[in-house]
Amino acid sequence: MGGPRTTPQSPPGSARLQVAIGKHLPGFALDVRWTAGDGVAVLFGPSGAGKSLTLACLAGLVRPDAGRIVLDDRVLFDAAAGVDVPPQRRRVGYVFQGYALFPHLSVAENVGFGLRDRPKAERARRVAEVIERLGLGGLEARRPAELSGGQRQRVALGRALAIDPALLLLDEPLSALDLPLRRALRDELRATLADLRTAAVVVTHDFTEAYRLGDRIVVYEDGRVVQAAPRSELLWQPASEAVARIMAIPNVLHGTVVKATPDRIQLRWRGQLLEAVNSPARAYLPPPDARLAFFIRPEYVRLIRKDRGLADPTHHMNVMHGTVVEEMDFGTTWMLRIRLDEPGEPAQGAFDLEVEVPHLVYEILEIERDRRWEFSIHRGSIHVLPG
Amino acid sequence: MSPESLSALSLSIRVALLATALNAAIGIPLAYLLARRRFPGKTAVDLLVTLPLVLPPTVTGFYLIVLLGRRGWLGGPLYSATGWSITFTWYAAVVAATVMALPLLVRTARAAIESVDRDLERAAHTLGRSEWRTALEVTLPLARNGIIAGLVLAFARALGEFGATLMLAGNIPGRTATVPLSIYTAVQTGESGEALGLVALLTGLSCAVLLVAGRLGARLH
Repeated sequence: MGGPRTTPQSPPGSARLQVAIGKHLPGFALDVRWTAGDGVAVLFGPSGAGKSLTLACLAGLVRPDAGRIVLDDRVLFDAAAGVDVPPQRRRVGYVFQGYALFPHLSVAENVGFGLRDRPKAERARRVAEVIERLGLGGLEARRPAELSGGQRQRVALGRALAIDPALLLLDEPLSALDLPLRRALRDELRATLADLRTAAVVVTHDFTEAYRLGDRIVVYEDGRVVQAAPRSELLWQPASEAVARIMAIPNVLHGTVVKATPDRIQLRWRGQLLEAVNSPARAYLPPPDARLAFFIRPEYVRLIRKDRGLADPTHHMNVMHGTVVEEMDFGTTWMLRIRLDEPGEPAQGAFDLEVEVPHLVYEILEIERDRRWEFSIHRGSIHVLPG
Repeated sequence: MSPESLSALSLSIRVALLATALNAAIGIPLAYLLARRRFPGKTAVDLLVTLPLVLPPTVTGFYLIVLLGRRGWLGGPLYSATGWSITFTWYAAVVAATVMALPLLVRTARAAIESVDRDLERAAHTLGRSEWRTALEVTLPLARNGIIAGLVLAFARALGEFGATLMLAGNIPGRTATVPLSIYTAVQTGESGEALGLVALLTGLSCAVLLVAGRLGARLH
């Protein structure tokens, strides 16, 4: 957005937003602590985990019982010091779930709603600027009821941005949209947020959305933060089994430790001896026979071609045999559910592993015809979940 | 039509309009407070406002005499200080009609205000509006249909008020005898022609109010 920025730029890497709040409600307790720098922070987790409540506290719409909220060295809330800046003076732009556009006002009046204190000419200029920026030209006189879902989302974003907020909050900004539009607008929203360089906090329960929109992801569960990390770290190193489950990672499994060194972890699972890479960042050394959770990404399991002779131990490790007992067509990929040849109860009900293969691979290997397979998993694709 | 009937009609319309205006002034803020705020004594206020809806109008009128009569809690000190009492004046008819009509407006307007999405108000707060400005610019405009419907009901109720008016204002021709009271008098004294005229007039007026309200509602929707 044009115009001089009034927000002091923090040194890179430092936290622009510090949140440490507690709030007790009947049957629910919120107790969270996290920080965010420049860019987009995503609060991710299941419904009812306290994400939207946190946004309401950040905006000053709900008063926490305890804690502190600091934005760019401005204390917005401090229970101990008795500071509670009212929402009217926080300069926080809020995009509500369902957008909460004023139905009795036009697009231009909605966008200009937060600019009442400014001189008329400046207000008109700012409204025109935001409308232009968000591609809403020509819709100025429309009422929200006369807009499409995507246009409504942009009006809601424009209304929040018009006040040149120090912080932008978006509560499930895409959940009101149809799926095809949702994907398009997700990428559009990402581009818009990246352009703005306003610190933003987005709430979502969809991990794809969290990953696409967020630079940093804060994982919520039951009123608590279970992990806060850059998005790629979260994707590859979930901090615990709980986080992996919230992220809906497939193939979260349990084995027993055979031997753990700072480099490798050997473990036993369904009669197989598996070898995994230990994370160098946080070497995890459980004692032998300890129960260990790990996960295997379905797209990293390699089916071994039968026309290439026997499995080569230098290329293939963690080799197993099994049968495809179920398969699901996802259009561009197939999800195969494989049951190992080992006797005993399968790890995930009727099957042991989910394996994802591209459509082309499915056709070339003639998986439709051939159900018995040998497959391997590189040790780097078995991810250990610290207990 | 007789001069008495015309005077009754003009009085009734004056009373109903003034009572509706008082209803708007008292009832809309009250409906907002009941819908959006928590305050001590809220249940009692709600009960007090609603009671005239269920009590016999004569009972409400009796309470009004206890409150405003020459020996009443408020009326007594006023009478001894100024020598003036509201009883048997046309203001008493306005007070009676206002109290009887208030629950209709408050209940209708309150439901309309409660149905306004609270996120709209919260959005207004983040955009710099105080609660007061938010009510004026967002909540009340969006509850407009319900508030107008409530005002129409209040006007109709005020126009037809009988029992409480009779208790507090009496039935003095040319001063406090509204159309419903005049109809009663006409029937009692056997002037059925006069009664019929007034009945037709009141029926017509009520139909007109309902039709206008319906049009207004349809246009706003």
